[in-house]
Amino acid sequence: MSDSTRRQFLRVTAAGSAAVVLSGAPGAAWARKPAPAAAGRTRAYVLVVDGCKPGEITAALTPRLAQLRAEGTTFPTARSLPVMETIPNHVMMMTGARPDRTGVPANKIFDRAEAVQRDLDRPSDLRFITLLEQLNGTGRTTGTVLSKEYLYGIFGERATYRWEPAPIVPVSGHAPDAATMDALIAMVDSADPDFVFANLGDVDRMGHSDLTGTTLEVARTAALASTDLQVGRFVDRLKATGKWDSSVVLVLADHSMDWSIPTNVISVDRILSVRSDLSSQTQIAQNGGADLLYWVGDAAVKDAALAEIRALVLVHPGVLAVNTPTQLRLGPEAGDLVATCRAGWRFSDPYVVSNPIPGNHGHPATEPIPFFVSGGSPRVVRGKVSSEPARTIDVAPTVGALFGIKAPQGGYDGTARMVAFNA
Amino acid sequence: MNPITRRNLLRTAGVVAVTGAVAGTVTAPASQAAPLRVSSKPNGLFSHGVASGDPLPDGVLLWTRITPTPEATPGSGIGPDASVKWEVALDAGFRRVVTRGATATGAFRDHTVKAEPRGLQPATTYWYRFSLGKSISPVGRTRTAPVAGAAVDRLRIGVVSCANLQAGWFSSYRHLAARGDLDLVLHLGDYLYEYAPGEYQAREIVVRPHDPAVEMTVLEHYRRRHAQYKTDPDLQALHAVAPFVVTWDDHEFANDAWSDGAENHTEGVEGTWADRRTASQQAYAEWMPVRYENGGDLYRRLSFGSLASISMLDLRSYRSQQAGNVDPAISSPDRTITGDAQMTWLLDGLTAEDVQWKLVGNPVMITPVRFPSTLSTSEIGAMQELLGTTTIDGVPYNVDQWDGYTADRSRVLKHLRDNGVTDTVFLTGDIHSGWACDVPADPLTYPASGNSVATELVCTSVTSDNLDDILNVPPRTASIAVEAAFRANNPHVKYLDFDSHGYSVLDVTPSGVRMDWYVLSERMDRSATSRISTSWQVAAGTQRVTPATGGVL
Repeated sequence: MSDSTRRQFLRVTAAGSAAVVLSGAPGAAWARKPAPAAAGRTRAYVLVVDGCKPGEITAALTPRLAQLRAEGTTFPTARSLPVMETIPNHVMMMTGARPDRTGVPANKIFDRAEAVQRDLDRPSDLRFITLLEQLNGTGRTTGTVLSKEYLYGIFGERATYRWEPAPIVPVSGHAPDAATMDALIAMVDSADPDFVFANLGDVDRMGHSDLTGTTLEVARTAALASTDLQVGRFVDRLKATGKWDSSVVLVLADHSMDWSIPTNVISVDRILSVRSDLSSQTQIAQNGGADLLYWVGDAAVKDAALAEIRALVLVHPGVLAVNTPTQLRLGPEAGDLVATCRAGWRFSDPYVVSNPIPGNHGHPATEPIPFFVSGGSPRVVRGKVSSEPARTIDVAPTVGALFGIKAPQGGYDGTARMVAFNA
Repeated sequence: MNPITRRNLLRTAGVVAVTGAVAGTVTAPASQAAPLRVSSKPNGLFSHGVASGDPLPDGVLLWTRITPTPEATPGSGIGPDASVKWEVALDAGFRRVVTRGATATGAFRDHTVKAEPRGLQPATTYWYRFSLGKSISPVGRTRTAPVAGAAVDRLRIGVVSCANLQAGWFSSYRHLAARGDLDLVLHLGDYLYEYAPGEYQAREIVVRPHDPAVEMTVLEHYRRRHAQYKTDPDLQALHAVAPFVVTWDDHEFANDAWSDGAENHTEGVEGTWADRRTASQQAYAEWMPVRYENGGDLYRRLSFGSLASISMLDLRSYRSQQAGNVDPAISSPDRTITGDAQMTWLLDGLTAEDVQWKLVGNPVMITPVRFPSTLSTSEIGAMQELLGTTTIDGVPYNVDQWDGYTADRSRVLKHLRDNGVTDTVFLTGDIHSGWACDVPADPLTYPASGNSVATELVCTSVTSDNLDDILNVPPRTASIAVEAAFRANNPHVKYLDFDSHGYSVLDVTPSGVRMDWYVLSERMDRSATSRISTSWQVAAGTQRVTPATGGVL
């Protein structure tokens, strides 16, 4: 390349003639020819089926995912970690560290410095080294194919190759799985990174918006079947291009999903409305099944005020727990109190109509997730079911161990699930 | 002592067949190891056999009872004190003894012995025996639990309840003992019954009369009754080959016991309930291989690596009185089946994230059961006798189960749902019938949603009467229509057998839990055969029971 300081772009034509635009780090190479069958090379792909419940992967509904699970090592006790939202759990996957170390505890926070509520979607919000950077540091190449704008935002240009989600579905802010898969396949075909981190957003987005969600879950079922086809396309492509036998595919969700009916809504703002001295000094960052509460009033009365707020909120029949961020290892960005709801409820602040979405997550009912390691690589242990308590935070240690990456400074908070690999 | 059981004991005690693992590893099920045969001489000093229970990763409780002088019979309160030696070995021939000790006993505890060796290796098979002077007890085999967090490929558990000696022979125990592949035996209660001969037996036939020949109400009775059961050769054989994990239900005290009384207790005429309960608990602590001493809590949790925990519930000591016509408050939040402390302990254990399968040793059913409105008067009457139902406003409720304490049940099921708890399985006895059920958080929406928060697997009775017995009809005749009516009214009930007697075998693996129900050819036949009746499984993460295929493991 003549100019190695500038970001590079590659436009490729994907299936259906849609154009996919990928960007690359300065100096990144685009290998257009079939990948050499380098002895000992391992490719790893982490596919996040956003918002998928473990029970939704069945041979009837999602045959390709079910087959991958059956052919690899699965962890039926796997769970998401607080706050059970998309951004923090993707960050935990890529860092192996808890939010009190990464700075990313939730999707939405109240930013005290800027005095605004905002998504944690800036590259600078993530303060911990990621697996992407660690792999890059060993001379390997990495990629991100993230269907949601805020995920693309926070991971930014950390990967060697990245795809900016497009086209974006209005309101949902995500690219459909077909487009995401086009991009993933284009990236693997053209750049063949050693590791790609991909997020498929349809299942989550159909979960949120599915107005039949409390009963038939029709749209969600359709999304699961559709996403399964896309995963199948990816596997087929790896096989067709000779990469499958060196590939490890880790499939998981970032969180599960729970549906509430319109009457089961909790408004902390409304609960506190009986005490304007409290409500006027409290900021609320709403995260579906979790509310982050920030005391912005007089520091001298903070402890007493928080104790009163906690007591008032806990009385609500839909509230499961009110914890401190420390108890959940969330760090100061999560504010002063974290309220979580019971199954079948949701938070909606400031008004009870502010959150009209029936499908939510963020509360403990949405912790169970699928988590399995599969692929054609001989390193994958086949047909195994493990009781080990896999967590989203285990992804970086597990993939890192596969590549011989050293733990970051201070160590991982997660655990490498080596039971999934042959020695 | 009953001469018949005595003779049977002497016939079988000469050879205690012990088959199974040699120092098994965590991953090797006991069934894969070579069979062994252990001999010991018949010995009147140890005529109540040996037993083990409540395995930990580094120890297991050992039990026996000595008869140091002919007069020191159970319940007699006489006989000298003695120091009973015990030893634990890695081999049946006791060439590799790993620990030994001595435990004092005497009339103060009815000459029962409980020893607690520690420092053993996890997930390891051991042999043990006791000695007094030159007399050596029969040899028992036991197995420690895997260490916390360890990967465990399989756990195989015999599951039994409701063994009324007067109603038949304990062939279920014999068949379980003969398997030689059990890591432990779960006894869910009604290990013995309080009734006098003629009060409760096999329909109208007293197969074996109870000793003493009265309803047990005082310490001497409870001790003698325990002793009589412990002379049963089939029960002795099962105790000798695998550790038991036990809890009591009501008949260890008296029928439909609650914290301050029982249906089958007449205050005053039969003494005070407080005295009667203390007596029954003392005898239980003395005679059962359980980490429980009178005055303590029986509820406790055992763990088996990262695969499973077993929370054993005590649903008699703290419960409010059963609801009745005069107090139909089955949903009152003021009433409890667990008590507050046990409830908190149970909920904490269910949300613990260090084990996959949260097994709950649950003496009475937790699945909501709606009674069909189509039952005949005689069928309702039989239900009343079998299930202890009470008719409230014309609708029968099993007020002795969790159905009679719906506020407590709601706390448990909401806890499971709110916290996204997976892989909770209630293992239940009490009602002399086999059930496999989903446990819906909301039975009303279950038919449409299929949402289930747990599962329940109920083993049938070893001998105690069930529906065909009560209706006095041949098995698998009148009950079939009743079962169908129950399933129709309760879509979450997937399997129901109101007639058979037998036992269950539970296989626990990371991919699923499976129960095989075995039924006896005839409970009154001393040498009854058993056959597998059905198998149901719970795949990991599903909270649903489905028919198991692929034959017996």
